[in-house]
Amino acid sequence: MLKNSISIFWRKRSNYYRIKLTKCRKCGRISYPARERCPYCGSNDVEHIDSSGHGKILNYTVSYYRREGDAENMPRIVALVRLDEGVVIPAEIVDSSPEEIKEGMEVEAVLRRLNSDDPYGLIYYGLKFTPVLNK
Amino acid sequence: MAKTYIAGVGMTKVGRHYEKGFKELSLEAIDKALKHAGIGINEIDYLLVSSAFPELTLHQSDIATILAQELGIKVRALRVDAGEASGAAAVALGNDLIRLGRVRTVLVAGVEKMSEYPSAQANAAYSSILDYEYEGVRNVSLVNYAAMTLKNYMERYGVSREEVFKWAIKMHENALTNPYAYLSFKVSLKRMMDSQIMSDPITTYDAFPICDGAAALVMVEESVASTLDGKPVELLDYEAINSEPPYLRGELTELPATRKAFKKLSKRTGIVVDEETAIQVHDSFSIYGLLALEALGLAGKGKALEALDNMPYLNHGGGLKARGHPVGATPLYGLAELTLLMQNSYPGLNYSRDISLLHTMSGHDNSSWLIVLRR
Repeated sequence: MLKNSISIFWRKRSNYYRIKLTKCRKCGRISYPARERCPYCGSNDVEHIDSSGHGKILNYTVSYYRREGDAENMPRIVALVRLDEGVVIPAEIVDSSPEEIKEGMEVEAVLRRLNSDDPYGLIYYGLKFTPVLNK
Repeated sequence: MAKTYIAGVGMTKVGRHYEKGFKELSLEAIDKALKHAGIGINEIDYLLVSSAFPELTLHQSDIATILAQELGIKVRALRVDAGEASGAAAVALGNDLIRLGRVRTVLVAGVEKMSEYPSAQANAAYSSILDYEYEGVRNVSLVNYAAMTLKNYMERYGVSREEVFKWAIKMHENALTNPYAYLSFKVSLKRMMDSQIMSDPITTYDAFPICDGAAALVMVEESVASTLDGKPVELLDYEAINSEPPYLRGELTELPATRKAFKKLSKRTGIVVDEETAIQVHDSFSIYGLLALEALGLAGKGKALEALDNMPYLNHGGGLKARGHPVGATPLYGLAELTLLMQNSYPGLNYSRDISLLHTMSGHDNSSWLIVLRR
């Protein structure tokens, strides 16, 4: 199993450290993440826009499925979050126990550790989501 | 245009083969398929090998050439990868080559070794069928999509957790008569209800087991088929199409690629399928088996569980759930089981219809493939 790569991750940093969206000028649809083609119609007439990083939990699951490198943070809460821009993004929810999570809950993006090779290996950081508590 | 026939099939028992590598398993399946077809290895024009994760689980690239070397043959050899649908893609390619007149005989071998490492590493390999940059890195695995889909399905159609296990119960029962099935035993509902949660609400009894296996098909052109003693089964047609990633679809409880592919295929071939047609659907997770039946028009939305009782030839070998899912080989197992059924040499079943259908997909309907057999 290959370990993490610096270059694979680094070149996508704008997608990992911020949430960039693709807005298609041809079909008008917005999608996650920033791509060079619209995933719906294939047009390359697209622009990239920033998301507010704020949204609501549309669906979620409490996952005990362990992949190599997943030793920490089990179980994971894996969700589909509907961003304020209307786009759905797959995301991990953190800082909450499974009992606290509800569909419709407001969440916002936070920078967290995504995974690492081993205790001494390369660490990937990126955005996860956390419930908005003090509204 | 020349017609394509499946002249022979060979399977190894699905399981955890710690004493056999991909070469041993493949050779076993290939020898059986050649014998079944009545064709010698030196009559093969092209070797197609379907395997999804050899680089990740076997440290092996160019697995087709390596396997050709092991077989001691000098042929055109190519590995085909389309994720979980690799086996169907290899068969489709072999079919095209034969129909175009480029070759007369194709040996398709599918093999996967998922039990060489602990489960967490097998899970990491399996998760690589999703988009690494946007899903894999974010710790999203297919079981998570399947779980959210099942959750939506249960809520929307008022289906209980208990009721969904009906799929697994049927698959385990079907596997009882399949000599190549991995999980050929009955399971009580209570054991299922108490089973370990993988991704809530999905438990281990909603999911395929991690396993190894190899299956092979000998595909031949019509003029070759007519010289053989066996009962070659025609590969009538196939169709395949892909979808957007699941998070961009807006609706998880539908399989749009499967539905579109079937619409195109049935329009072109005029085939009609009903509950008594032999059909193999891709049930990596039970919910996908249910959704496939709905996408193929065999059940209304939310009604697939009710349709199960009247489907005697659905995943008759036990499906991915109970026969097992050695990924790159899985569609070949499905086609082999259908071929034997259509030759009336599948244990305990008699089938009289002219056609049968294989459905396979990679991920959450990320791509879906359909293959129709006719006798």
